[in-house]
Amino acid sequence: MIRVALALVFALAQPALAADKYRVGERLRQSTARPAAGASYQTIRWDALVPEGWDPARDLRGINLAMLNDGDRRATEALEKMKKAWDEAPIEPAWNGQRVRLPGFVVPLERVNEEVTEFLLVPYFGACIHVPPPPANQIIHVFPAKPVKNLRTMDAVWVIGVLDTTRSEALKGGNEAMGMAVAGYRMKAEQISPYKGPAR
Amino acid sequence: MRHWFALAAKSAWNRRLTLGLIVAAVALSVMLLLGVERARRDAREGFAQSVSGTDLIVGARTSPVQLMLYAVFRIGEATNNIRWDAYQAIARHPLVAWTIPISLGDSHRGFPVLGTSAAYFDHFRYGDSRPLALAAGKPFADVFDAVLGAEVAEQLGYRVGDRIVLSHGIGGIGLPEHADKPFTVSGILQRTGTPVDRTVHVSLEAIQAIHLDWQGGAPVPGFSIPAQFVRKFDLTPKEITAALVGLKSRAAVFKMQRYVDDYPGEPLLAVLPGVALDELWQVVGVAENTLLALSAMVVVVGLAGLVAVVLAGLNERRREIAVLRAVGASARGVFALLMTEGLFVTLLGCAAGVVLLLGLTLLVAPLAQSRYGITVQPRLLSLAELRLLGLVVLVGVAASVVPGYRAYRLSLADGLTPRL
Repeated sequence: MIRVALALVFALAQPALAADKYRVGERLRQSTARPAAGASYQTIRWDALVPEGWDPARDLRGINLAMLNDGDRRATEALEKMKKAWDEAPIEPAWNGQRVRLPGFVVPLERVNEEVTEFLLVPYFGACIHVPPPPANQIIHVFPAKPVKNLRTMDAVWVIGVLDTTRSEALKGGNEAMGMAVAGYRMKAEQISPYKGPAR
Repeated sequence: MRHWFALAAKSAWNRRLTLGLIVAAVALSVMLLLGVERARRDAREGFAQSVSGTDLIVGARTSPVQLMLYAVFRIGEATNNIRWDAYQAIARHPLVAWTIPISLGDSHRGFPVLGTSAAYFDHFRYGDSRPLALAAGKPFADVFDAVLGAEVAEQLGYRVGDRIVLSHGIGGIGLPEHADKPFTVSGILQRTGTPVDRTVHVSLEAIQAIHLDWQGGAPVPGFSIPAQFVRKFDLTPKEITAALVGLKSRAAVFKMQRYVDDYPGEPLLAVLPGVALDELWQVVGVAENTLLALSAMVVVVGLAGLVAVVLAGLNERRREIAVLRAVGASARGVFALLMTEGLFVTLLGCAAGVVLLLGLTLLVAPLAQSRYGITVQPRLLSLAELRLLGLVVLVGVAASVVPGYRAYRLSLADGLTPRL
């Protein structure tokens, strides 16, 4: 009897450990299949959210590391530059108003009665918790059309919705001058469904 | 069909004592099962309700769950404080829209005292982004003003203008008191159904002022600074317990989190409330599931009792069944009779269980509200609970097949020639 009870407990406890499915830093595989005829959205990759030609590592690429001494100042400077560029990652305004579908991991922001009403969508597992955060152009602030039940941190989901690249009013203040302007993608999500299928 | 019901009812009435007991057993087990499920839901909703609109909780480096528990829910105690200049640096960060400082450690008759700034009344949100509202009076303006949560005012019978004395430390009776510096109640907040209801709010300067003449957790003997002179001293706080941070853009939350975690001055920790809550539920979830599994087992035991009672009853009902057969009842009818009985006992048990649960909820609600600030509302059954009840009935009916089938087999030959 006790053994049965224990087995039952472990069976019930399983879902709680389901988040261990993914490894830190793991990304979701994206289908490259064309959307079904009549679909009003396009399935995009996270890379598409990065403006073409933006290369934070440009300075680092210009340096031949083999030619430098150990602890060379130029290497450190280039790395610092890259980090700064990464921090000020620009967004691609062309996405404004586009209806897209893409997969990602959930970081819940706001809950009402156990239902998530606002969350951030990030491209890889463990972002924000164990590994350095993704740049601003790899985070989507999602507002679901209706609150989502049973959504937990780092759940993998498909999101379909319209992207918005306009800045929030609060940010139009004088922050640009301080080099801290935060641009970001926002999305009104029409449909959110669990991600199924193998991780890459 | 109708006469089968009548027959089943009459037959059951004949055995009302044993069946009544088994109904009670099923009712108790159902109450336990639904109670566990309901407590789980209420606790989760209560916690989720308590914090809204806050992007980061900042405190001394500890476990994220612990930081959230003491900063938002006043459960447990802070391991460490953060220095005032560190808080200032975060508050001035260009990404930050607002901050609410939180200073804990004192209490008033068992209710926690929270030192904060006016920002608390402007920016704190709970539930569905609802701001705090005053039921009476106004926010604190003077050093020795206090704003009470609804529960504090109600339980202790305070009104605006009353004088209260704070105690040093958190806990029960026998704490040293700040008797020389009484506070005046300047306002009372409306009920929120969150830990705010159980909190006494004062200004950060007040926390500093009442500890001016204290040293090492006790008043310095023979030395006291009278209340009217505290303003002569620098009342800028030296440290606070934690801070709630709101950002200009919520998408920048990771960047800000990293800034706080890497703050060079001292080890700090920033947590996203939503993520920390999920972490908490992951820990608590195992215990919850264990409880749910155990109460499910209790229901199974109750239903096993039902089967045992009906099976044992079959022996004494051989004649009854035989008579029914003799007057023309089919064997299938006898089977239906037993099934009906099982179904009705289970249904009755479930109904009684729900009634018991409602009674218990009414009994426990005031306690949960005053002790933990969690609102337990006696409400109708939720979908999840209905599903659980359906499952119980289904199992009950399935279990009734055993005595039903036995009666079906026996009713053919046995009964008319009982070997007694």
